[in-house]
Amino acid sequence: MSIDFKKKVPVVGKEPRKRRRKVGIGHYAVNVWLIFWAVLSVIPMLWLVLAPSKTDREVSYKNPLSFASFHGFVRAWKNLQDFNSGVLAHWVINSITYNAAIVLIASVTASLAGFVISASRIRFKKAFLISTLIMMLVPPVALVIPLFIEMNKVNLIDNPLSVILISSLYPFGAFLSYIYYSNTIPPEIYESARLDGCSDFQLYSRIAFPLSYPLLALLGFFAFVGNWGNYFMPYIMLPSPEHYTLPVGLGALFFSTPAINPGNGGTSVPILKPEIALAGILVAVPVMIVFLISQKRLIRGMLAGSIKE
Amino acid sequence: MSPGRRNKPKNLLMILMLSPYLLLLFLFGVLPLIMAIINVPSKSPSNPNGGWHVFKIVLHDFRLVPAMWHVLGFMALFVPLMILFVVAMSMMLDVNSAPWKKWVRLAYIVPACVSGSVAVLLWYVLLEPTLSPFKGVMHWFGITQATQIWKTSNLTYILVFMAFFALAGQWILIQFGSLQSISTEILEAARVDGCSQFQLATRIKLPLIRKYVIYMGVLVFAGGLQIFVEPQLLNSSVYHGIAQQWSFDQLSYSLAFDNGNFGEASALSLMLLVPSLIGALIVIFKTDMFEDVTLKSSKKIKKEALEREAVKA
Repeated sequence: MSIDFKKKVPVVGKEPRKRRRKVGIGHYAVNVWLIFWAVLSVIPMLWLVLAPSKTDREVSYKNPLSFASFHGFVRAWKNLQDFNSGVLAHWVINSITYNAAIVLIASVTASLAGFVISASRIRFKKAFLISTLIMMLVPPVALVIPLFIEMNKVNLIDNPLSVILISSLYPFGAFLSYIYYSNTIPPEIYESARLDGCSDFQLYSRIAFPLSYPLLALLGFFAFVGNWGNYFMPYIMLPSPEHYTLPVGLGALFFSTPAINPGNGGTSVPILKPEIALAGILVAVPVMIVFLISQKRLIRGMLAGSIKE
Repeated sequence: MSPGRRNKPKNLLMILMLSPYLLLLFLFGVLPLIMAIINVPSKSPSNPNGGWHVFKIVLHDFRLVPAMWHVLGFMALFVPLMILFVVAMSMMLDVNSAPWKKWVRLAYIVPACVSGSVAVLLWYVLLEPTLSPFKGVMHWFGITQATQIWKTSNLTYILVFMAFFALAGQWILIQFGSLQSISTEILEAARVDGCSQFQLATRIKLPLIRKYVIYMGVLVFAGGLQIFVEPQLLNSSVYHGIAQQWSFDQLSYSLAFDNGNFGEASALSLMLLVPSLIGALIVIFKTDMFEDVTLKSSKKIKKEALEREAVKA
């Protein structure tokens, strides 16, 4: 296990294996295909970002990738704010507060766990790591019904604590931290610190924590990206509209307006396609910004523990 | 990894620091399973006397077989498509490192931000002939009305496209990252021996990234088996009735929340957990993805500690 978190990531690195060779037609075909797929990847997001600039009628009849006016965004935003006496503000605040709590609890508990496993000699280390790996590889959706039963027993249904606590279990983060601490801090440092009279907690607070900033950034990134768009868990645990998160609220918007399905009946405020697209932007764009900034981290993190150098 | 052998650490503080995570792992990883198992034999309208034969009742539910065919059909297309496409694309990206490819890679990550309800919104638009940015192409194929596309018989393909489009980009980048970790000496040696780009990809690179491909395969398989949000939202909000209890998880959801039958819902959840668990165990024990965790026996740790002491001496 020897991933170096400080090393420049190979993804954008210039490899030395470049060498002049004959370029055939196949080479151009490959490049054209790569660019074609890149364009295809961006078009839906482009539509989403441009749609609120238009009126509902223009969304249907104008060029789908055209821009109409900035006023469109303002109008769609006002309409969204008026929907159900401003419930959208609740959804935005909920999404931000739930995610902030999840990112904080998940990152702290996972980094502490990773530190303990790498620095201590407690028993059942291997069993602990294997159970963490299993939790990491089983999709969270698999446990939703059992979790609902559990939360129902302790009366936490429709209480945001249920979503915050459940989502704070962060096995991937614990594993990542274990790899990080194992690779960045040699055990000899802990040994000499102990000889100097450091307690176990001081080993963390004075040695491991100050070296953890890159790790904490990684943990926060993955916890945020994994939870911001989460639909199923809050959908099941939080049935009251005032507790919805943005993705669940967006689902509710679909359901309650005729914008997408005329069979859904009308609403008092015009919630039509531009408004729905704007709500979609609120869900998708924060993740996109974080993703684009941290592309390298995503790859390094996903491969953590397995890149051999 | 193991601290000093002479002054044995007092582990109490360490255990205290580990306990918040351990508590979460127990409360939301282990306890729900115990509760689901306890819940399975409880009395319900379909199982008035209670008992473990509820598993049998679930297996005989008339909605299970259609859901199974839907999900199997979905997986049969989705998993191989993902693996082949992602491996091929990452190999193409890895052929050389022209600077413009940085932008291509950035573009590939964009669909990953579109998940759940936003993905449903976007796919509704993409496949609606009056709204779609691709409406020209659709009209060219003679598709002018949404009903030509949005029908239950097409749902498998639509969901495959949705899942594929959302996940392919980020996995291409991840597999590209794994390809970049292959040592340049190996690749140079193969080139000197006369390997073509194709041979290099199939005979050298592919075997070297095999474990990452298996890792991806298991995660994609486990995720696909639990498909829920997309068919559920399509069914409840966009085209009513198009995907009624289409997937296993929708059936499990419907058993729990429409029928109030948590015994059957728990039984189905537990049954669905088995393939995911087997997949996880295969990755952990049958590939060398996490070999340092699984193979590091206490003997090896002791040996390492002894070696360190020897070096110090």
